[in-house]
Amino acid sequence: MRYLTTLFLFCLLAASAYADQAAYTVRSTEIKQQPYSDAPTVATLSEKTSVNILSREGGWMKISSGQGNGWVKMLSLRSNSKATKSGDSGLQSLLNAGRADSRGVTVATGVRGLSEEDLKNARANPRELEKLQRYAVDKSQAEKFARGAKLKTQQMDYLPPSGNS
Amino acid sequence: MLNRAMLFFCLTLTLSCPAYALDFDFTKALDVVKKVQQAAKPLEEPREIELGNGIAANLLGAAPLFNDNDVQQYVNKVGRWLSLQTERPDLPWKFGILESSDVNAFATPGGTIFITRGLLQKLNNESELAGVLAHEIVHVLRKHHLAALQKEARMDLASDLLGEAIKDKNNPALEKAIKAGTEVYARGLDKNDEFEADRMGIVIATRAGYDPYGLPAVLQMLDASNAQDSSLALMFKTHPAPRDRLGLLDKTMDHRFDAYSAPTQTDERFNSEVARQK
Repeated sequence: MRYLTTLFLFCLLAASAYADQAAYTVRSTEIKQQPYSDAPTVATLSEKTSVNILSREGGWMKISSGQGNGWVKMLSLRSNSKATKSGDSGLQSLLNAGRADSRGVTVATGVRGLSEEDLKNARANPRELEKLQRYAVDKSQAEKFARGAKLKTQQMDYLPPSGNS
Repeated sequence: MLNRAMLFFCLTLTLSCPAYALDFDFTKALDVVKKVQQAAKPLEEPREIELGNGIAANLLGAAPLFNDNDVQQYVNKVGRWLSLQTERPDLPWKFGILESSDVNAFATPGGTIFITRGLLQKLNNESELAGVLAHEIVHVLRKHHLAALQKEARMDLASDLLGEAIKDKNNPALEKAIKAGTEVYARGLDKNDEFEADRMGIVIATRAGYDPYGLPAVLQMLDASNAQDSSLALMFKTHPAPRDRLGLLDKTMDHRFDAYSAPTQTDERFNSEVARQK
């Protein structure tokens, strides 16, 4: 039941994260039927075409546009910032309202503790540091955690700066 | 190499001097060489960890830990798993969620990583969390904060810090370094260090089995955010624009990362641990 509730909440949030997020293409880009490169092409969008982002899967964004709907490479898109107001969705406010007793949600701007000034004047809190140390996990716990979700390691070298490649 | 050349130069110089000047010149030359060595020598790992813990205690003074053991442990497991895919798997890595609605993340020398509750709540899955933590892990691996500290600190602080004096726990030089080290978080790092953290962070997340596009997705979310939102003010001030970071990742990633995706079990886990916090 808890799983269903959280799944429902997650779907709502996932939807709110992207629903009608306006973006535009930074290059000529193909719309694919499925989120992979060799899927059939629905249409080709020219540079600076407006689209709406619906959801994400890996490096692909599900979009709707005047020229068709389907999947576009995430990094071919940039948000149309002016049209969005992320972090201010009705749902987020609703959920935050349930946390009225927590610090930082209901307090006014500038007293949440991590402003430039706050950092310059910060005084050490050794008790919280001890608590932090207690949360730490060891290698075997981390490996067990990875196995638990079937995470598999991949071989990959670091990449050079894009200017040198 | 330079030090050896200098020592050789000084020795040659002193040896070629008349005998009466030898004692004085030799001592002075050795002193200079020692100073150069100290300034160029990297901070020993135990000192790096000590400095980082001091800075972490200060950050915790600004914002305490989010009060939920389960989510704190969950973030630690994701982070520790990522750290095992790096060249410094044996550091005392620890991860914490700060109780703050600000959207930000921090790394301190020696392996302490913080993410704010505000940022955690904006994430959609474990791969995005991994992307953020991996970016911070790179700051530790590459000692970006130490570089910023050493670049900006006066020479006396740098040489005190790196010298013998710091071995004494109560040395005022350590206090001074911790205070200066905390102020680095208000100013930010070199922007090329941020780009490097993005570039290496996506590789670490991929090695750990996560979707490589977790970090780019977070950057897209930030790019789409209202720049006037005060909870983003410090993060925006101390980092290059998300759009510039996306532009560089776009070139770096190209088609190299297309074949990877995270197992769906990570989504289920993220949902049960984090979505209930939203």
